[in-house]
Amino acid sequence: MLKRLGVWTIFALLLALAVAAAALLWATRPAQPEFRAAILETLAPLPRPEARAAPAASAARAEDGQWTMPLGDHAATRFSALAQINPANVARLRPVFTFDTGIAKGHEAAPLVIGTTMYVVTPFPNIVYALDLTRPDHPLKWAFRPKPLQTAQGVACCDVVNRGAAFADGRIFFNTLDGQTLALDAATGREIWRTKLGNIAIGETITMAPLVAEGRVLVGSSGGEFGVRGWLAALDAGSGALAWKAFSTGPDKDVLIGPGFRPFYASDRGRDLGVTTWQPEGWKIGGGNAWGWISYDPQSHLVFYGTGNPGPWNPDQRPGDNKWTAGVFARDVRTGEARWFYQSSPHDLFDHDDVNESVLLDLPAPGGPRPVLVRPGRTGFMYVMDRLTGQVLSADPYAFVNSMRRVDLKTGRPEFAPEKEPVQGRVTRNICPAAPGGKDWNPSAFSPRTGLLYVPHLNLCMDEGHSEANYIAGTPYLGADARMHAGPGGNRGVLTAWDPVARRAVWRIREDLPLWSGALATGGDLVFYGTMDGLFKAVDARSGRLLWQFRLNSGTIGQPISYRGPDGRQYIAILAGVGGWSGAIVSGALDKGDPTSALGFVNAVRDLPARTDSGGRLYVFALPR
Amino acid sequence: MSWLDTFQSAAGNDGQQSALVSELFAIFLAVTALFFVAVMIFLIWAILRRRRGEGESREPALRRLLVGWVGLISLTLAGLTLATWLYDRGLARAAATPALEIEVTANQWWWDVRYADDDANWIFRTANELHLPAGVPAHITLRSNDVIHSFWVPNLAGKQDMIPGREADISIRPLRRGVYRAQCAEFCGLQHARMALDVTVESPADFIAWRAAALKPAAAPVGGSAQAGQAIVTGRQCASCHSIAGTPASGQVAPDLTHFASRRTIAAGTLPMSRANIAAWIADPQAVKPGNNMPKVPLTPAELAAVTAYLETLK
Amino acid sequence: MSSPFRADPPSLPAGRGRGWVRLRKKRRSPFPSPSPRRGEGRERGFGVCDLSPAAEPPHPDPLPLGERGKGAGPSGTAVRRYGPIVALLLIPLLLAACHRETRDYKSDALKASDRGAAFEGNAFHIAQGQRLFGWMNCAGCHSHGGGGMGPPLMDDEWRYGGSMGEIAATILDGRPNGMPSFRSRITEDQAWQLAAFVRALSAQPRQDVLPSRGDEPRNTEPMTLDERKPIRPATPKQDDSSEE
Repeated sequence: MLKRLGVWTIFALLLALAVAAAALLWATRPAQPEFRAAILETLAPLPRPEARAAPAASAARAEDGQWTMPLGDHAATRFSALAQINPANVARLRPVFTFDTGIAKGHEAAPLVIGTTMYVVTPFPNIVYALDLTRPDHPLKWAFRPKPLQTAQGVACCDVVNRGAAFADGRIFFNTLDGQTLALDAATGREIWRTKLGNIAIGETITMAPLVAEGRVLVGSSGGEFGVRGWLAALDAGSGALAWKAFSTGPDKDVLIGPGFRPFYASDRGRDLGVTTWQPEGWKIGGGNAWGWISYDPQSHLVFYGTGNPGPWNPDQRPGDNKWTAGVFARDVRTGEARWFYQSSPHDLFDHDDVNESVLLDLPAPGGPRPVLVRPGRTGFMYVMDRLTGQVLSADPYAFVNSMRRVDLKTGRPEFAPEKEPVQGRVTRNICPAAPGGKDWNPSAFSPRTGLLYVPHLNLCMDEGHSEANYIAGTPYLGADARMHAGPGGNRGVLTAWDPVARRAVWRIREDLPLWSGALATGGDLVFYGTMDGLFKAVDARSGRLLWQFRLNSGTIGQPISYRGPDGRQYIAILAGVGGWSGAIVSGALDKGDPTSALGFVNAVRDLPARTDSGGRLYVFALPR
Repeated sequence: MSWLDTFQSAAGNDGQQSALVSELFAIFLAVTALFFVAVMIFLIWAILRRRRGEGESREPALRRLLVGWVGLISLTLAGLTLATWLYDRGLARAAATPALEIEVTANQWWWDVRYADDDANWIFRTANELHLPAGVPAHITLRSNDVIHSFWVPNLAGKQDMIPGREADISIRPLRRGVYRAQCAEFCGLQHARMALDVTVESPADFIAWRAAALKPAAAPVGGSAQAGQAIVTGRQCASCHSIAGTPASGQVAPDLTHFASRRTIAAGTLPMSRANIAAWIADPQAVKPGNNMPKVPLTPAELAAVTAYLETLK
Repeated sequence: MSSPFRADPPSLPAGRGRGWVRLRKKRRSPFPSPSPRRGEGRERGFGVCDLSPAAEPPHPDPLPLGERGKGAGPSGTAVRRYGPIVALLLIPLLLAACHRETRDYKSDALKASDRGAAFEGNAFHIAQGQRLFGWMNCAGCHSHGGGGMGPPLMDDEWRYGGSMGEIAATILDGRPNGMPSFRSRITEDQAWQLAAFVRALSAQPRQDVLPSRGDEPRNTEPMTLDERKPIRPATPKQDDSSEE
């Protein structure tokens, strides 16, 4: 039989079989979406959109060479129009002076420059230093020590950081870790008022930078890892008296939800959702702390801020949507009344707080510019939302995400990947992004010159196991053990230049270590950011090409700023001092033998202690004269 | 154990599952009894008709009988197999449409009971007691926090092991009202014997009333002693592990005490509920149930009285 | 008596017989302590002052030297003859011990540090401590020994001392830089159990009493997912002989 068929027939048959097998192998090859996306990205021509996003006209500031709030302006753009330093001369950038804070914890704050004085607020014990910029030796004008309670250090979730101060009407406003807000006379450092807002006995701390708008100082709580019921409070800038306080959970009257509350999506409408979307009593220890950034639109009198993760981390213990945690609120700054709300992570599964900055932009649209806010969310999605209605106009992943498939723009709800949903008593592996999300608190920068948003973010995944959490006031309320590791590609940090109009990344820089510092964009078409091993970098805002870098004494997780000095020159300043959640392994001398240390972050940065050491220091750079 | 005015019986028909199993058991018993009698008769007959001499004879009649006997056994076994299969299907069908979702988590040595619901507002926790409406199929998800336990309400259904890290489930459709004692059916440590669960089967109306009461937070105590007791319970060691809805006590690792005094027993069926027993239990839990995880909290006699008075108000 | 098993901790290194003897001698003590569990050191003194230094090894002879003569009453001519002289010589020692007493600033938990030994070497107590470590949210700050908001516990650095007594004191009374006090949240015995487990994290007690596994969901990858690696590299690395 075989002989009759002939050798050639057999050969042809085998060949066909081989071709079929190859086709089968090709068809069933492991999917590598991020790899393919990367290829497509490099192949696609760089977009030169005619229509370009612009910072919100209503919240824009005139460039006066100062830096009065950590995010630069009320629109949260972190953009300085100063253009002396540019791609052609940045290579000559040199440090002008440094100033040691003497504190070995994480320095997440942005220095402020008002007039001829620079203000630096340190991590706990939250000392404020005022440096005189007029004299060549930059002496200390004054230092203010608020003396916060020592015990506050024990209830600070992720290092004893402070994210900066704010300036308005001759006063410096800042928060202390033990839950106080202070106003100082900017000229003399004299204390004008102090208001106690947080109770550290239940784990209520304050780490965020306040925002001043319409004579009110807005302050939010920290403590999502302690089951603290979150709030945003408005204090009178003159007296420090409490004007209003809006909780993130509980009945409508506590959340300041009234007739003016018009959320875009049906799931956010209803009476007392802050109670009914929880198991009975759960809202009282439900988290939702507003520890992130606030932006302000003067035209609509609205402030925008996000609420943190619900407590505890273990989602099985808090059935329901857990309103109003892990979402973004728009409130009238005058009354505190909520205007709209959008929940990016209903029944949050992975500690995806929604506290990241809301950059207020005007996007080109057929009927004239559309007022939007752009939020690089913890979920790994870039949300573009109408800032007047709360409608999600688009949501696209900017980081590698496998825990969430997409956001349904009709209902506003995310579609979670069922295989990544955690189950109590089990370990779910390779959840991307990890608990710190696609991006944590460190703010992005937006340049109107390029129309791009520069997002310093993470590429981390995690294994997470859940167990029952026990609530004891003043102790952590988690019920989760995480273990983070690098995401696809092996790099742990990314700087992405994102075009909000084309809804895509224009370029990316892959950083080995997690990127935990803020970004700064300047009129000279430069983007500044720092890495956790202590390199402070300047890259071309258009191409992402590395133009300059400088080795700092410690890794930086701070926020770079740019200002015009009394001599008319442009300066760049940043605080070094590694720490925070990501750098706790160094600042807290944690043991890498336990992969769950620092809520699992230690496992992702085991090499950090060998690459940098702790120590807070201010660096100021300028071009040589 | 006079306070348990019921007895445990696996041969009852108080639940649909146990009734089905009992029926199947009865069928097996009847059939096997029939065969046992037949075998005995045959044996006696053989002894009576035994042959005294040597040699063997092959009676064709006996041979036919033997073939018939084997055939009968085969047929009967097949029949029993079929019956088992049918009853098994019946058990599965009885659980097909649960109207109540309950999660029971076993701990050394108590039961954590959570009534689940799609609407988070209807979820509540209790401990060491299970209330079921008669005639309503309930689906119970079983978990364990520490070692292997086994969930067994003999009067209502069969056993199901609870293995840490795994999820098991069992369905129960109770038929008759009553109070039943359930227990851990897998040796789980020193106090395995004192790990009971009170199962109350009541009319649906009663169940709804009970659930409404269970959903309410604990009422504020009236009277100086009870108020002092509340301050101790919420401010001292108790609150680290126990939770009482409506108070700051929110511990999750010990039995929920919100409606503690409405239960029939203390410490998973260890003591009947009474003022004296509450006091005895708190005064020294290790004397009553050695090895359990409740420590002896140092309390003065006045404090002990206050705590007892407060716990008694948690109806 | 709030230890879960109300008898003496089972694996008291000296064994039960000795404990029994000690109890009998206690009964004879002219000044019985009102709380026999706490500060056993006091009973060993004359009732005038505490003779036992705080960091005494866990099982010294139950009676101090001075009391041996009359308490245990061994008869012998040598003792009878030189007894008074020895007693006289011992008086300065006694006074020196009284001086210690005046400078005593250590907490109860520290004084009772000999109690720690009973908990430390006991598998049951260490296992209970492990459960409490999870239940009392210790793991929230200290993770499973590596630290986070709080310092790591599995290394060899102790901010406030690493002895059983010091750890128990830290747990019960808290420390100023953030460690909360658990005195009103757990009982003293539970603090000892926790201290025993904390020491177990850095593998200080006997290995045979340590828990073999954690209570938390295991977060390490199953070994079946490990990448297979050859035990020794396929091509042996060349030495840096080029330098020669």
